[in-house]
Amino acid sequence: MISVRPKNFSANLSAQPAKLDLNNLAPEQVALEIKNLDLYYGNKQALQNISMSIPKGQVTAFIGPSGCGKSTLLRCINRMNDLVDICKITGQINLNGENIYERHTDVAALRRKVGMVFQRPNPFPKSIYENVVYGLRITGENNRRVLDEAVETSLRSAALWKEVKDRLHESALGLSGGQQQRLVIARAIAIQPEVLLLDEPTSALDPISTLTIEELINDLKQQFTVVIVTHNMQQAARVSDQTAFMYMGDLIEYSDTNTLFTTPMKKKTEDYITGRYG
Amino acid sequence: MNKWFKSGAPWVWLSAAGVSISLISVLGLLWLIASRGLSYFWPADIYQFDMTDEQGKNLTVIGEIYDRESIPVSQLVHLDLAIDKSAKTIERLLIKTGNRELVSLDFRWILVPQITQTTLPEDIVVIERRTNGNFYGYIEQIVLDGKAVEESKMDELLERVSDFQAEIAELQTADIGAINYQIERTRLQVRKHQLDDTLTPELALMLKEKVAGLQAEYQVLERALMALREKVARDQIIMRAMDGQRVTINFEDIIKVSFNNKLSFFGKLQMFISQIAAFVSDDPREANTEGGVFPAIFGTVLMVLLMTVIVSPLGVVAAIYLHEYAGNNALTKLLRIAVINLAGVPSIVYGVFGLGFFVYMVGGSLDQLFYAETLPSPTFGTPGVMWSAITLAILTLPVVIVSTEEGLSRIPSAMRHGSLALGATKAETLWRIILPIASPAIMTGIILAIARAAGEVAPLMLVGVVKMAPNLPLDGNFPFLHLDRKFMHLGFHIYDVGFQSPNVEAARPLVYATALLLVSIIVALNMTAVSIRNRLREKYRMLEH
Repeated sequence: MISVRPKNFSANLSAQPAKLDLNNLAPEQVALEIKNLDLYYGNKQALQNISMSIPKGQVTAFIGPSGCGKSTLLRCINRMNDLVDICKITGQINLNGENIYERHTDVAALRRKVGMVFQRPNPFPKSIYENVVYGLRITGENNRRVLDEAVETSLRSAALWKEVKDRLHESALGLSGGQQQRLVIARAIAIQPEVLLLDEPTSALDPISTLTIEELINDLKQQFTVVIVTHNMQQAARVSDQTAFMYMGDLIEYSDTNTLFTTPMKKKTEDYITGRYG
Repeated sequence: MNKWFKSGAPWVWLSAAGVSISLISVLGLLWLIASRGLSYFWPADIYQFDMTDEQGKNLTVIGEIYDRESIPVSQLVHLDLAIDKSAKTIERLLIKTGNRELVSLDFRWILVPQITQTTLPEDIVVIERRTNGNFYGYIEQIVLDGKAVEESKMDELLERVSDFQAEIAELQTADIGAINYQIERTRLQVRKHQLDDTLTPELALMLKEKVAGLQAEYQVLERALMALREKVARDQIIMRAMDGQRVTINFEDIIKVSFNNKLSFFGKLQMFISQIAAFVSDDPREANTEGGVFPAIFGTVLMVLLMTVIVSPLGVVAAIYLHEYAGNNALTKLLRIAVINLAGVPSIVYGVFGLGFFVYMVGGSLDQLFYAETLPSPTFGTPGVMWSAITLAILTLPVVIVSTEEGLSRIPSAMRHGSLALGATKAETLWRIILPIASPAIMTGIILAIARAAGEVAPLMLVGVVKMAPNLPLDGNFPFLHLDRKFMHLGFHIYDVGFQSPNVEAARPLVYATALLLVSIIVALNMTAVSIRNRLREKYRMLEH
């Protein structure tokens, strides 16, 4: 793993002319602000004093070796860690200026604003159509016309419409792995979240499906703020605007992708991206 | 040899043997009850035995061969028979001779050496009757309105009589039954008003007039019934029994007249099928030893369905609580062990509990609260189909809880997370995702519950089953489903017919036939549930990763 620069790296750069100063973002540029976040599993501390700002309408990648806490951090953003009994969190995550760890926060409403896609495709054993409208049905939307429209736009945004438009009412389990993962993305964006969390979305997929999903991520940032966790450094380099490198529960370095991969500030980052460990 | 052991072959053989033994015993059981049960419906040949008894008297015996056995000659020495003393054993036949008005016993033994001639006369008939069992003999004369008519008219007459009988039954159970029911309801209404002290003179008058109207209607129907009875009673058939005695049988008593010995194979087959049809669709007669078992089939199925309706939601809800909401602590573990152990409590204990708690406590309180007007005769404070269903629901609850919980724990957490991440609450996730996926497992629990409940008899004897229920729990009178009524049950019917009836010998084939029916019904109920489960499985098939 010597050359981490993907072929379309320069193309990616030219797509974002204005470089952001991540430490001094204007409030309207911030999608998420993580402040002094500590997380414990029982007695073991899994995240240590994480602070970072995730900019709006961009793709932010978390990279790092296994067990570094990148997925844990991602799951904090939509409070999926609440499902783990022994998990304890201190600090803040602000979404639109409001701390999501406030006592009165409506977790279901939060998760409608912060969608998530998991490592393995997990479509429900229902039809493709019902999978996409699931989130809308939860909110009580039952108007056929609205649902039909949402299905079409979401599937189009997830680049799946052409493949499935003639079999919307067949089981989603009949799709291939890559198609299922795009369906899950369509399902997540059907409820129009502000932030989309992708937890290693391509690790269970073949290279061609991976490519499709990566292209999709590039399109998605037009509408959503995307946060992606990945094992694959080339992927982070290809799809993200910002990259955060984590190690052993610490946020080591966080900067724009180009800088992080070409001129890392910290020794640990350099060792990792040049393949000395991890 | 050592190598052979190491190869694992002996264990394969051993397990194959185990499987074969189980299979053979199940098939053997089914074959036994099927052959014994079904042979009851096959029209038997009717023999005429001419014989000489030990006093040298000639006599004739007519009947079906029911059984045969060999007995040692030494047992019969005291009879001083004129038989070959050198033979060690002697064969005797058990003949079903019927004709209960002439001899009180349906059966008699005859010794084969005493038989001088065995024939199968074609004009011998067997008459199936409403009372007094079968009659075997020859037709002497058919009397229509006091005049003798030709034998060929018999079919026509029988048809006429059976039409009348159907009309009478309809009149009795449906029309007159409905009026009686209404009269009783009106009486209870009066009583209720009296108890509440709201009986105004106008109301009393109105209700009295209502009763009077109903009674007038009743009288009209009763007259119609009497007229029908008269019509049916006028025709007779005169029969000659085996000893030459004449017996007059009213047509109204006759269900079927058949010349078994004249029947071809297909004729017998037709009769076989029609007898099976009658068995499953008719009411029992003669203290359950004859006729059909329809009320028992109905009662069994209704009770099992009610039980299913009660146990499924209860079991599923309990399993959801245990698996999804209860904390993973010692108390939950204790609860789970308790639930599993409940499955091991003897069923009669549930019966006692049902009687003491449901029938007397809950039912008694219900009566005092809502049915005070009928007291002291109880409505729900007495065994009935609802209490039976509830008692069996409690009995089968552990099965449903355990299999539902197992189903819930098999669902990958990705499904839950997927739904939660879309903004669904835990309850919405359960309702929309988890329960549908767990439905095949829930159905498995229900299947096991049905299998257990349909075969259970002991607790039912305490909480609702009776030997003979006058009415089905479902009829045309509002509110149609009478959950307070007692009911008949196939399992109890087997016990009652086989071991409690006055005519055990005659009823034995019925025991097998009823057992076969019970097995078929349980299998049918299970197959229905299994096919539903398979459909659900197909629908919610999980992706195999």
